[in-house]
Amino acid sequence: METDLLIIGGGPAGLHAAYVAASNGIKTIVVDESFSLGGQLRQQTQRLTNLPKQFDSQIGITLMQTLVERLTDLDVTILSKHTMIGTYKDGRIGVSNGQRTIPISAEKVIVTTGAAEEAFVFPGWTLPGVMTIGAAQIVMNREHVIPGKNAIIIGSNDFALEVGKQLIENGVSLQGVIENEDQLIGCKEETIQFLKEAGVPIYQNSYVTQASGAGEVEKVIINHNGSEKEMEIDLVCIGKGLTPILEPFEILSCDFAYEKDLGGWLPQYSTLMETSTASIYVAGNAAGITNLGAILLTAEIAAISVAESLGRQCKEEATEKRELLWQELYHLESADSKAKFHGRIKLMREFQDNVDIQLSKLFNMSVGGV
Amino acid sequence: MAKQYDVVVIGSGVVGSSIAFHLSEGGQKEILVIDKDYPLSGTSGSTQAWVWVHNKTPSWYGELSMLSAELYPFLERKIGDVEYKRTGGIAPFFNESDRESALRLAEKQAEVGIEIDVLTRDQVLEKEPALSPNIAGATFSKIDGNVNPFRLVELYIRAAKKNRVQFSFYNPVIDIKRDKGIFEITTKKEVFRAKQLVLAAGPWTKGVGKLLGVDIPVKQVRGQILVTEPLAPLIKHTIGGMRQADNGEVLIGYSKEEVGYDRRTTLDVIQDTAKMAVEYLPDLAKANIVRCFAGVRVIPNDGQPILGEIPTIDNAYVAVMHSGITLSPLVGTVMTELLIQGETSIDCDKLRLDRFSEFKSYV
Repeated sequence: METDLLIIGGGPAGLHAAYVAASNGIKTIVVDESFSLGGQLRQQTQRLTNLPKQFDSQIGITLMQTLVERLTDLDVTILSKHTMIGTYKDGRIGVSNGQRTIPISAEKVIVTTGAAEEAFVFPGWTLPGVMTIGAAQIVMNREHVIPGKNAIIIGSNDFALEVGKQLIENGVSLQGVIENEDQLIGCKEETIQFLKEAGVPIYQNSYVTQASGAGEVEKVIINHNGSEKEMEIDLVCIGKGLTPILEPFEILSCDFAYEKDLGGWLPQYSTLMETSTASIYVAGNAAGITNLGAILLTAEIAAISVAESLGRQCKEEATEKRELLWQELYHLESADSKAKFHGRIKLMREFQDNVDIQLSKLFNMSVGGV
Repeated sequence: MAKQYDVVVIGSGVVGSSIAFHLSEGGQKEILVIDKDYPLSGTSGSTQAWVWVHNKTPSWYGELSMLSAELYPFLERKIGDVEYKRTGGIAPFFNESDRESALRLAEKQAEVGIEIDVLTRDQVLEKEPALSPNIAGATFSKIDGNVNPFRLVELYIRAAKKNRVQFSFYNPVIDIKRDKGIFEITTKKEVFRAKQLVLAAGPWTKGVGKLLGVDIPVKQVRGQILVTEPLAPLIKHTIGGMRQADNGEVLIGYSKEEVGYDRRTTLDVIQDTAKMAVEYLPDLAKANIVRCFAGVRVIPNDGQPILGEIPTIDNAYVAVMHSGITLSPLVGTVMTELLIQGETSIDCDKLRLDRFSEFKSYV
């Protein structure tokens, strides 16, 4: 197959990039390993705030429908149930459905493979009933199965607390949030308030010493402020956070950098969202763990850059659009975490000489913490 | 003042670590091993880890491999369980016309004590029923096997540390000078001094040699390896190009490419390798590949190990070879003899660096 643009990953970043690119007359293929598009939006029942201004505030599932439906009349080919498995010597990318491998020759590639969840490890962590917080949400909202009756959550980031709230709303008894630090990591007041009113105990300075049971988790021992406490638990949700998925970038020979606030190791990229390998772009959580607004905006920046390099947008127009998008990204991302945006700037500065010149039109690079 | 050692070994892969361990057994030398990275992050950690003997030619090379394979059980008594398994090795051929050369191989190898059976199709299929009926026959020897390379290198290092060998990791060597017969080795972290110096840097040996002013004639060759999902027991022997690990995964690899130090895999080779594997073992057509990785191996320009003194530089030694896993027990043993006594118990003349007519030294 031949195409102008190949997008690896049909989550929010991939779908939005496909829309922006195809709207500029770019022939696009989107590859996704799942049978349906939308990625992690498919189980997000909570209202999404901090979306770019072109989107109304809405829940993840409806946003997914919007992102998919508006591709209908565009030159976008969807290859679902296909996974990128490697590259050929001539640069073509091989995608496979497990039976057949299709070589795709693409002028440009945007990799939007998102993130993977990390796990806390403790004795018994492989027992059925122990899962990541994201898996619990998939089981509950996508498969419509209650993942357990008596649950604890390990970790207290905003996403973990949000899914904790959803567990309670679905009738699960949430018997504790176990946090190693001396305060909650998450800061969404609304969710914290909900959990307090629901009477969920918050165990700070605590960790799980072990989970045990016959064939599945039945009992958990936690260490709370130095003393042990035994709990009857059949669902342990681990919410340690996300880290960018790197394999596609390794295969594509991209250089990496480490930015703790963006989730650890990630590909280096420029203000165009282009990686160290020419014509390979990155967007979404793969470019640093962030909120949905920033996920969509990085995708749009990448798509505009692709349009420019394929001659579908003139330089002035593309530059102006990118500036506006970077500005919006700054505001949306900083609302959640200034450190993340600082991490991005640092990453780009190390990769690209003229980041300050490019971005100083947008932000005062010395004032306001940027 | 830079710390001075009796011996500094550059490279902590299977070869360097084995030399350090064997040297440390005597207890009279102060030894340091320097590695630019961490053990198993390079060649020794990206191998099928065969202990492979029977069709190594010329026969003196086969003999060295056999002697080394014979040392493995003794090595395990000293450093612990490295999961060495003498599975027996099968090298199939697909044309009856290859039987002639198989018989000649068996005859030649018998002269040095390597026992090879040349099998008919039925005999092969009796040993390995999953092999394709399209094969015409195979050479077989009991001496071949494999080992767990991760345990092997780790246990060499652990045993060496017990004998007070010191290791300096994540520490590339930047420069090597000589000052009144003592080597001065400048690394990223500090400067070390050494009375004797051993280059055992695998695919990086050429670069390290340059620092010393000698050209070590070796090439870097990439091999891509496919790993299947864990499968029910399918093959028992180490078979030309593949073996099944204890956990059921089948490792498959045939490719050799000169592409410099590039650890990427390519779908071209992955697909060719998979096709080849299915020709040998038709059942693999149904297996899923879960992982592919590439290792960059070192191959001396004439294919044979380079082992011994660097002729133009007193007290400098080199140990670089393709089959480091197979040869490491023997190489550690003879290098120890050479460094301590100045001579080896077996004849290693054919392995000398100055066998290369193009051997260049700038010193």
